[in-house]
Amino acid sequence: MATLDTDVLVIGGGSTGAGVAWDSALRGLHVTLVDRQDFATGTSGRFHGLLHSGGRYAVKDPSSARECASENRILRQVAADCIEDTGGLFVSVPEDDQEYPDRFLRSCRGAEMEVEEIPVAEALRLEPLLNPRITRAFRVSDGSIDSWKTVSALLRGAQAHGARVLPYHKVVRVVRQGDRVQGAVLEDQRTGEQVTVTAACTVNAAGAWSGQVAALAGCEVGVMPGKGVMVAINHRLANSVVNRCHLPGDGDIIVPVRTVCVIGTTDHPVADPDDTEPRPEEIHQMMEAGEALIPGFKYTRAVRAWAGSRPLLPKAKSGAVADDREVTRSHSVLDHEERDGVAGLVTVAGGKFTTLRLMAEDTVDMVTRKLGRELACQTKTEPLPGSESHRYYWVGNRQEEAEADEPDDPLICECELVSQQDLQTVVARRPAWNLDDIRRALRVGMGPCQGGFCAFRVAGILHAQQRYDRPEANRALRDFVQERWKGVKLVSWGHQARQDRLDRWIFEGVYDLEHLPE
Amino acid sequence: MNPDVVVIGAGTAGMTAALRLSGTGATVLVLAEGEGALPLAPAQVDLLGYTPALVSEPLRELAPFLQERPWHPYRLVTPDEIEAALGWFADLAAPLGYVGSAQRNRLQPTALGALRPTCLVPETMASGDLSEGGEVLVVGLRGFRDFHAQLVAENLGQAHLASGAAVGARAVEVSLVGDPRDLRPQLLVRRLEQRAVLAQLAREIRTELGQETLIALPAVLGMERSHEVWQRLQELLGRPVFEIPTPPPSQPGQRLQQVLFRALRRQGGEVRLGAKATGFRGTGGRVESITVQLASREVQVSAGEFILASGGLGTGGVTVDPDGGLHEPVFDLPVTTAGAPGQPSAEYFATQPLDRLGVSVDSEMRPLGTGGEPLFTNLRAAGAVLGGAEPWREKSGEGISLATGFRAAAVITGGGG
Repeated sequence: MATLDTDVLVIGGGSTGAGVAWDSALRGLHVTLVDRQDFATGTSGRFHGLLHSGGRYAVKDPSSARECASENRILRQVAADCIEDTGGLFVSVPEDDQEYPDRFLRSCRGAEMEVEEIPVAEALRLEPLLNPRITRAFRVSDGSIDSWKTVSALLRGAQAHGARVLPYHKVVRVVRQGDRVQGAVLEDQRTGEQVTVTAACTVNAAGAWSGQVAALAGCEVGVMPGKGVMVAINHRLANSVVNRCHLPGDGDIIVPVRTVCVIGTTDHPVADPDDTEPRPEEIHQMMEAGEALIPGFKYTRAVRAWAGSRPLLPKAKSGAVADDREVTRSHSVLDHEERDGVAGLVTVAGGKFTTLRLMAEDTVDMVTRKLGRELACQTKTEPLPGSESHRYYWVGNRQEEAEADEPDDPLICECELVSQQDLQTVVARRPAWNLDDIRRALRVGMGPCQGGFCAFRVAGILHAQQRYDRPEANRALRDFVQERWKGVKLVSWGHQARQDRLDRWIFEGVYDLEHLPE
Repeated sequence: MNPDVVVIGAGTAGMTAALRLSGTGATVLVLAEGEGALPLAPAQVDLLGYTPALVSEPLRELAPFLQERPWHPYRLVTPDEIEAALGWFADLAAPLGYVGSAQRNRLQPTALGALRPTCLVPETMASGDLSEGGEVLVVGLRGFRDFHAQLVAENLGQAHLASGAAVGARAVEVSLVGDPRDLRPQLLVRRLEQRAVLAQLAREIRTELGQETLIALPAVLGMERSHEVWQRLQELLGRPVFEIPTPPPSQPGQRLQQVLFRALRRQGGEVRLGAKATGFRGTGGRVESITVQLASREVQVSAGEFILASGGLGTGGVTVDPDGGLHEPVFDLPVTTAGAPGQPSAEYFATQPLDRLGVSVDSEMRPLGTGGEPLFTNLRAAGAVLGGAEPWREKSGEGISLATGFRAAAVITGGGG
């Protein structure tokens, strides 16, 4: 079995782990980051894409609100290329508590958020599809952030500073010598080969799965997975983030993300963080809830539904919590040496995507203290790869790029304007074991056709270039069709049901994918 | 025009019924919401391919297949009618030189290299029946997104044939002269109709040609002049050439559409594209007229007889609302799920709740109400709007459309029943 040595082993390749890797690498530590799958496949890749202004937590969880507000400002500088500056609105509908907006305004100001009340007519001018019955409207600095792009940029940055990243490497054993964690044994999920990583410090950044990772080290972390359901609509019904101005509830945020918009979310405690199958009633609840913000929402074209598991960490040790929304959105860094007498292991849990940088800073502060190396955090000012010019991403960027492309660089995905050259660039620098890995990098298969036209092209091109052998190409295509169906089957009505028929016509009728040899 | 018959839908079923009726002297108007469904389809005629076991003699295996599926639309027609409909179709589409029979399935390669059972194929695909094996050179066009020759060839090489014969396949990729941005099927067909471009393609292929006895290309060998292009390429290469259908827009489907539209016009019928039927007026169990949405206005179209051939869920013949309500949008006919499961299966290729949606009809092809009674004396339904089939999985779509379109016309002229 091969052995790799590193200063910091980070378990979990979501936003938290990638943030820790970036922060550690910038401080000059040698980092190895591992994930059981591709990066950002857990909670990070399954959220609505909201860069919080803090408004959502202003009344109920002021410390979270304050953190969001300040991290929002930092990320807009260092991760501009991953962010679309959509701005956000909080609107009060007649069914909402009409006392709430004043409390909201006071709390936002208390949390040092940028907030401005605007006339209802102005809000309706900005967002013409908005419910005309809204009674008040506030402008905040919400944004839309691309989780895959962010995680990918964090990891590329970390790698440029010497970090090693190992996707599809699952921790099968935590190596413990007496009361000290010394690393982990990993199994490559693609080949079955094992490798040992020895580390001076191990960071458990497995989010909703951090309880499972801690258990491998003989420690207990009472993380409570909170399932949140989301539905993507095939175009942008709003150009800014639209929030209901009330105490956070279900289906009260609509976030424009790239070519679509996403409504979220629910919040139910689940025992297993891998339990991410939305129930039909949860989806209908989202579609009905959208009506309060955008009348007719229910009849718009939903392209897909999915759920993610929030890594909630109750401050009080265990004990039943009736409503997940009572749990703070702040994060905690747990020192297992102090807490459980197990040295060499730190767990970071709780928190949210918007505060990923702060979580990483707090975690690596503890790691450097433990290693006895006083190294200052640099992530507040160091831009991520791609964000050096501090220019925000804009929804027209892909069109601009497509128009500038070489004439012999054909589009392989018309929905998301992905060219063959884009595909080459991505497979050269990140895992492409599954077509889903490529989807996370390029958004192929995320538009209205959900892979009906592009999946076959990607599999065929990668096979022709000998990145996939024949069985791999067939498997990759079949798996992708199966994976897309997971989210499509839940929204099979209206035009998406019709689209599903066209896709079946192609996969079953034209290709006979079902009867392809293994 | 004051037609005797209005047909809603310009796919295989609608065009079959329209052509049959106009052939007997009736004036027929065909309306299609968009451009009709034919440009989506590979233009092969499937009758029955999987039950789910592979079918080799479709007409003979139909009876046991229907035994287990009392809801299936093939129950509305006899094997003789199916055979007659296929024979009629092959005659009518003579310019495309259809070959094959309802008695036996051919095995034709797909754009992924699976061997797919089907009954009739146009002449440009005729030599691609690999039931008895063969040595194939699969030719890809560099930069064409919808055909990957290497994958087709390797998958074909894995085929297990009942005959015990083997398929040998090798891939080559050739470049076409001209603007690489034109590598879309709609433009490729035009370029290959130019003699110089075709000659250049033949030269490129010839330098790569080995012992292979067959040459396969994506289905872009010309549009109106496909016969000439295909014939000429075979002459230049000295071996049989066949086309493999690619995803929509299907050029063979487009050719078939042109042939069928032209035939109807020759018989005095008319096709109106971009005309969406949205409702009807009627009294006492008769449809008087239908409401048709044109680009600029709405009109009422009256006729003596109406045929609903609007297709299934995929083409808007049936719709599903967010609450799961099922609708037939023109006549508000009841929609059946024909024994399909109530909940979606996690397995993509399993039977899904929406797979068999459609309307039910009596033996005279008249749509039925919830009580099982025919709703209108002068309305018939045919093709994919009929519930109960899983056409892509069974490989049965064109057979159902041809046979039920054929029958709908027959009951109107009094020849059926």
